Amino acid sequence: MWTEGPEASRLRGSAPVFSMNQETSKRWVAVVGNPNAGKSTLFNALTGLRQRVGNYPGVTVEKRTGTAYTLHGEPMELIDLPGMYSLSVRSPDEEIALKVLRGESADLPRPDAILCVVDASNLERNLFLVTQVMELGLPVLVALNMVDMAEAQGVRLHPDELSQSLGIQFIPTQAHRGKGLVELRAALGQKLTGPGPRRWTMPPPLAVAVGQIAAAWRESLPAELRAEGKALELLAGSDEGPEGARKLAMAWRERFRKEAYDWSAAVVNARYTYLQNVLKEAGVGVGMSGGNWTDWIDAAVLHPVAGWGILAGMMMALFVSIFSIASYPMSWIDGGFTHLGGWLQEVMPSGLFRDLLIDGVLAGVGGVVIFLPQILILFFFLGLLEDSGYLARAAFLLDRVMHRVGLSGKSFIPLLSSYACAIPGIMATRTVEDPKDRLTTILIAPLMSCSARIPVYTTLLAAAVPVALVPVWQKAGAMLGLYILGTGTAFLLAWVFRKKMLGGGSPPLILELPPYRSPALRTILLRMWERAVVFLRRAGTVILALSILLWFVSNFPRTSEDPSAKLAGSYAGQLGHWLEPVIRPLGFDWRIGIGLVASFAAREVFVSTMSIVYHVEGEEEGLIEAMRKATWPDGSAIYTPLTCLALLVFYVYALQCLSTVAVAKRETGGWRWPAFMLLYMTGLAYLGAWLVQVIGRALGF
Amino acid sequence: MGAGLLATVSQKEQIGVMASHVHRFIGGVLNLTQVGPGTEVRVSRLECAPNTCQRLRELGFCENAVVKKIRGGADLVCWVCGTRVALSARLAKQILVEHVDGRS
Repeated sequence: MWTEGPEASRLRGSAPVFSMNQETSKRWVAVVGNPNAGKSTLFNALTGLRQRVGNYPGVTVEKRTGTAYTLHGEPMELIDLPGMYSLSVRSPDEEIALKVLRGESADLPRPDAILCVVDASNLERNLFLVTQVMELGLPVLVALNMVDMAEAQGVRLHPDELSQSLGIQFIPTQAHRGKGLVELRAALGQKLTGPGPRRWTMPPPLAVAVGQIAAAWRESLPAELRAEGKALELLAGSDEGPEGARKLAMAWRERFRKEAYDWSAAVVNARYTYLQNVLKEAGVGVGMSGGNWTDWIDAAVLHPVAGWGILAGMMMALFVSIFSIASYPMSWIDGGFTHLGGWLQEVMPSGLFRDLLIDGVLAGVGGVVIFLPQILILFFFLGLLEDSGYLARAAFLLDRVMHRVGLSGKSFIPLLSSYACAIPGIMATRTVEDPKDRLTTILIAPLMSCSARIPVYTTLLAAAVPVALVPVWQKAGAMLGLYILGTGTAFLLAWVFRKKMLGGGSPPLILELPPYRSPALRTILLRMWERAVVFLRRAGTVILALSILLWFVSNFPRTSEDPSAKLAGSYAGQLGHWLEPVIRPLGFDWRIGIGLVASFAAREVFVSTMSIVYHVEGEEEGLIEAMRKATWPDGSAIYTPLTCLALLVFYVYALQCLSTVAVAKRETGGWRWPAFMLLYMTGLAYLGAWLVQVIGRALGF
Repeated sequence: MGAGLLATVSQKEQIGVMASHVHRFIGGVLNLTQVGPGTEVRVSRLECAPNTCQRLRELGFCENAVVKKIRGGADLVCWVCGTRVALSARLAKQILVEHVDGRS
């Protein structure tokens, strides 16, 4: 017969009192919550532009911290943790979050408090995580977020009653409107106390086991405040703790297994039962289930036919706006750089330094910075899709397709992020739980055309066909074709890698579809600002350095005064000539060879390299004009539509990005997979470009 | 031999389908794919891999929880604990449910 031992009642000791972190004197607050609870919006509202984005040491999970101020003006550091449904670790993302919460992260102090962000319209499931967080032994504060939407859905909220029954403070907020922030900052500035003893009732067999293990733990380490939580962790398979407690946990685990008692299910069920009672007692009503406008939109968006049409329409709108809207700011930037170049030409004495500034720095950096508007538009659209809730629907639609190639719909979001940049895309694979799915997603992510390819695509498309003759929608269509080529190949290879190479079944789809919301413009603008800073920093460092280096190697040694002969005799020219026999079958000359080699650092460098190469050769007009005039020694044009297409296909496939290789190395834990990635993608690029030439010529182009 | 094996498999499937109809008829257990959109059901048992089971429970698919199927199809959408959760049909087959009012 199971009875609750005396240990279990002794566990309910008094609540510990916490003061500020002694070492740093600053208060550290970890922000946790379910995905879609508005956590990032609240974090942004509290910290604004005082954010720092970095990586946790050794891994590439994005670490976002920011400074917020209490009402007394004292600074506190907020840590934005990845969204999670529970503290049971399944993905690398969740592992990092748990480490931070337990104070095991190498470069962050143990938080002084935890701010839980919960979606008020969905309290039961959001509070499930809160009950787990409360057992970490840290003070917990709850931001009852999106109260307006919950009330609109007919949910009655009683924050005071909730505070009373759970024993932690609930503060109503509307992060997207900036409401409740003052109260939150005031609460975060107060002296915070721990949440006190556990209030949910453990089912009897488990209560006995946990009581015994916790007692054994406390016998060895009397100072342990959360022996009960540690006991549950030991039962779940952790091997950290005093030997006595560990052995006891092992014995209990064995006993539960023999008796076929699913204790972890019992814990989840007990927490939910407790929460249902709390919500009932606090008078929190439950919102209507479905039947609202989210379901109306879903009826169209998830429709097996109309849904695909909407998805295609959205993607087309994205590409058209990348071309049409972006063209205005792009021409301003272009004008600015041309003006600056002209001004330098006038005020500076002629000489090497002026050449370096105009033909090296301005041509190189300017050639890349001009694409900032297109990249920002891409991030704006991605932000809109994500924040409105549409992205999850797209993942749902694509699950069936993904399933055919052996992946789940979850891989869609990392792949879509890869359209912006493969680096955040590869980082986002940390939310994919299955290791083989994750590896496959990493391997194919760089095939999704990233924003760095936009400059290359735009330049080559313009060189292939006269701009003025082609309407915008055709250019957008051609661009879309390149994206489809990359994506289609990615899916084909996913099938090869996942089903044939790695083998095994993929996990089934479990995906939350958040209600549709109007996106928070502030959050999206902040994200765009962040990306702009990253892009410009790159233009100001890597691309600037490469531009200077490239100008140098394409100007020295000075063998001749004739611009063409000068380039041919330079280091870059020698390298290009050496490479020409290899790339000649693809229709590429030695100048393109220089571009290919230089753009191994980053794809967009191709454009700046070509600008420098043709500037060195004395072309004063734009890059596209110069390319269109470029000829082989026999006088035939180099950039025929066919060669442009071959070059485009080459850039669709080639892994021309050192940062991606570096990230893939960190994420897969070695050089094996990035080396494989580099090999297969370069091979594919060469083969693809060669096939374009061969087939194109056979067809008489 | 091969044809015989196929026949056995399809017979078994038929028996399975018939059995599920019988269950439905006598008010027994169904899986989530067998109920129509708009139906409210109570989760009676999860028959998936332990890790998947745990994830489902944490999202609200606990034993005895009431869920509502919103959309059917190859992948389906359920209303559970105040949110919409999409599941693949393969997984939904492993979630055994019964009608809330005891009716079948």
